[in-house]
This record gives sequence, structure tokens and C-alpha cells, in this order.
Amino acid sequence: MQLDFSSKETWLHRINPSLKLFVLMMLCIVVLSVHDLLFMMNFTVIVLILFLCFTGQPLKRILLLFIPFFVVFLSTSSSMILFGQGNTTWFKWGLIHITEESFFRGLLVGFRALLFAVLGLTFALTTRPVYLFYSLMQQVKLNPKYAYSFMAALRLVPIMLEEFQTIQNAMRVRGVVRQTGIQSVFFKMKAYAIPMLSGSIRRAHRIAVAMEAKRFSDTKNRTYYYEIGFSKHDLVFILYFVILLLAGYYGAVKGI
Amino acid sequence: MTKGLKLTDILVTIVIAIAFGIVYILWGSVYYALKPIGLHADQFMYGMWFIAANVAFFIIRKPGVALLAEIAAASGEFLLGSPWGLTVLLYGVVQGLFAELVFMAFKYKRFHISVAILSAIAACLGSVLMDFAYGEIGDLAAWNLTLFMFARFLGSILFAGVFAYYLVRVLEATGVTNLVRPASSKDYAELDQK
Repeated sequence: MQLDFSSKETWLHRINPSLKLFVLMMLCIVVLSVHDLLFMMNFTVIVLILFLCFTGQPLKRILLLFIPFFVVFLSTSSSMILFGQGNTTWFKWGLIHITEESFFRGLLVGFRALLFAVLGLTFALTTRPVYLFYSLMQQVKLNPKYAYSFMAALRLVPIMLEEFQTIQNAMRVRGVVRQTGIQSVFFKMKAYAIPMLSGSIRRAHRIAVAMEAKRFSDTKNRTYYYEIGFSKHDLVFILYFVILLLAGYYGAVKGI
Repeated sequence: MTKGLKLTDILVTIVIAIAFGIVYILWGSVYYALKPIGLHADQFMYGMWFIAANVAFFIIRKPGVALLAEIAAASGEFLLGSPWGLTVLLYGVVQGLFAELVFMAFKYKRFHISVAILSAIAACLGSVLMDFAYGEIGDLAAWNLTLFMFARFLGSILFAGVFAYYLVRVLEATGVTNLVRPASSKDYAELDQK
């Protein structure tokens, strides 16, 4: 989602958002059923190509976004590698017990987490939420009540962040003493969560009342400001995965 | 579910959920900060990710709110760019569903702290089931898995159960909950006296 950073528009942006979401979900289900490490690695490469070349982000930002991916990969695989069960022991030190089975399973789990992350971020970087919800209303027949609520709520995010800073500044100006230890955590949670939540609820309530006052209703045959349809990019997107995944599977079977 | 919720309920639920969606993203760094300690210290923090369902339900007190809140929080987290990507959506649906089932079992009429704790445990159970399918935690050594479960369930009870309950209690004091709760407050009067 482009909150404050802009990027070039690529063909990934022009894919129908509902279709993109559907394809990515299907891919996630496929990922869940893959237990072959080679195929999983090919799969990762296929998705990474899309992420690196076609999200329209500058290279610097892409590299920056890679840091959390790397952390996810390490953290997911490490506990399985270090503490997993297995028969062929490679290394044992105290509680740590690395076996051949746990090592490969750890890699598999790590790649799976990495794939989920890359798929998700590719979607988030190339989809405008407004188009997504308009498309969901038109193609998936999502109830407008939900779609518009989501869009309104996402619009409130910058306001919430601003509010957060206001509270922070207010506490600084009034000289709120910094507490330490576990107490400070609870104090902070209360000091920030309560005003922000109550403010947000009031704001949301006002928006809903205003929408209904202006005759917002969820009639089926409404008109839309953005008409979202399908294009040849959708076909390219589907074919990209079908062809490359088949190739990746073939490669994995052949041992590439 | 669609019949029972008005636009106000949906909008308020989703706004609360998106607010928690931001918290969820920030919580990821807390989670990872604890990861290097090892021995599943991070799992203790996991409970925070179930809080949206409980807070939203205890504020609005209507059927379907818990499920909607958890899904909305997950999609907010996803759209704002979570390092877990699409996984959060899958987990969100399951966790929300499990929390919702607890409230349904009480016919959406009980708002005691024990209900909050039960639904936190249920959401945690949902996440554990997902982990078995996704993370293959079933293959962890037995002692390690026990530790993992203990940390996660304890964290869930504290964050999503107790903390969520008291958060709403404090919110009640601001009067904001009166805006969005159903008008018939006879059932809730006995709770408020405690």
C-alpha cells in the first residue's frame, strides 16, 4: 500500500485486484502442500523475480524490505533446525540437537514463510486498497457496508498516527515522568491506547452516522466511481505462474 | 451476521480492528526482539495477536463482531505490509472463528472476564492448529513443544484475555462504549456493579 511512498506503475498494478488476491491465495495453498525442498526453492525464485523486477519500487527500498524477510526466514527455520526431531544426528550440544531431518525441514519451513511474506508484500506494494475494495464489490459482490467501512478505516490510519504523536508531544510538554520497568509498559499502553481507541470509536461512529444521513445503503445495483474490469494483464499474470511453476516442478523432479 | 450488524457496528469494529492492525505490525518487532533469547520467550508475546476480537466484542457486544474484528485486523496488517504476508489473513480467520465460537457458546450474553479468557484460549488453540499445518511444530522435540505451548497459552490469557478485558473496562469509564452498544442494557447492569 502506498501510504507516503510513491513508485512506478507496472503491469502488476493493472491486474484486477480481486483476481490478484485470489491467485495469491491459491499459491499460498499450493505452498502449504509442498514438501519438496527443491521445488520450494524454485517456487521462491519464481516469486522473487516478480517481487524484485515488477513491483516498481526503487532497488534501495527493495533491499530495505528484504531485512524483515531475512529475519522471518531465520527465525522460522532456526527453532526447527535447532530443536527438531530426527534420527541422523549432525550436532548435539546440551539442548540443541541438529539432525539431518530437522535441518531440511527447517529450511523447508523457512522457505515457506519467506514465500508467504514475498507474496504478501508483492500484493501490498502493487495494489491500491481503494481499487481492491471497489473490485471486491464489483467482482466478488462484497457487501458495500463492509467495503466502505474498510476504506474509511484505512483512511483513518494517518489520523491515528498523527494522534499518537500528539499524545506523545503532550506528555512531553507536561513533563510526564518516564517510569521504568514493567510498570512503564502498562502505563504507556493505557496512556496511548485509551485516548486513541475512544477517539477512533467516536470518529467511526460519526462517520457512520454521516454516511447513513447521506442515504448510504447496500442496494445491489449501485453505481461505482471506479469501474474495475479485467484486462490482458490478468492473463499474463496467471500464465506466468502456470508456466513457471510447471517448469519449476519439472526442474525439481529432474533435480535442478 | 450480515443482518444483525448495522453500518455503525461494522465501521466501528473495523476501525478498532485496523487500529489493532497497526499494533500488530509494531508488535512484530517486539516479538523478534525476544526471539534471540531462545526457548520460546517470544511465544509469550503471541497472545497480543488475538486481542482485537476480544476488545471489539466486549465494546460492541454483538454476534459476528469478534470474527469480523480479527479478519479486519489481519487484513489491515496485511495491507499495511506485514513481514508475514498472507499468512496473517489465514491465521486471522481461524483465530477469529475460534474466539467467536466461545462467545456464541455463551449466546453473546455473558461478558465476564472468564469469557474473555476462554475466548483467548480458543483463539490460541486456533493459532496452534494453524501452526501444526503451516509451521510443522508437531515435529519439535516434546519438551520444546511443551514449553512452546505453555508460553503461548499463558501469553494469550494475559494479553488477549485479562488485558483486553481491563482495557474495555477503562474504556467504559470514558463513556464511549454507550455510543455503540445495543440499547437493552438490563443484562449488563449486573456486570457493571462489580
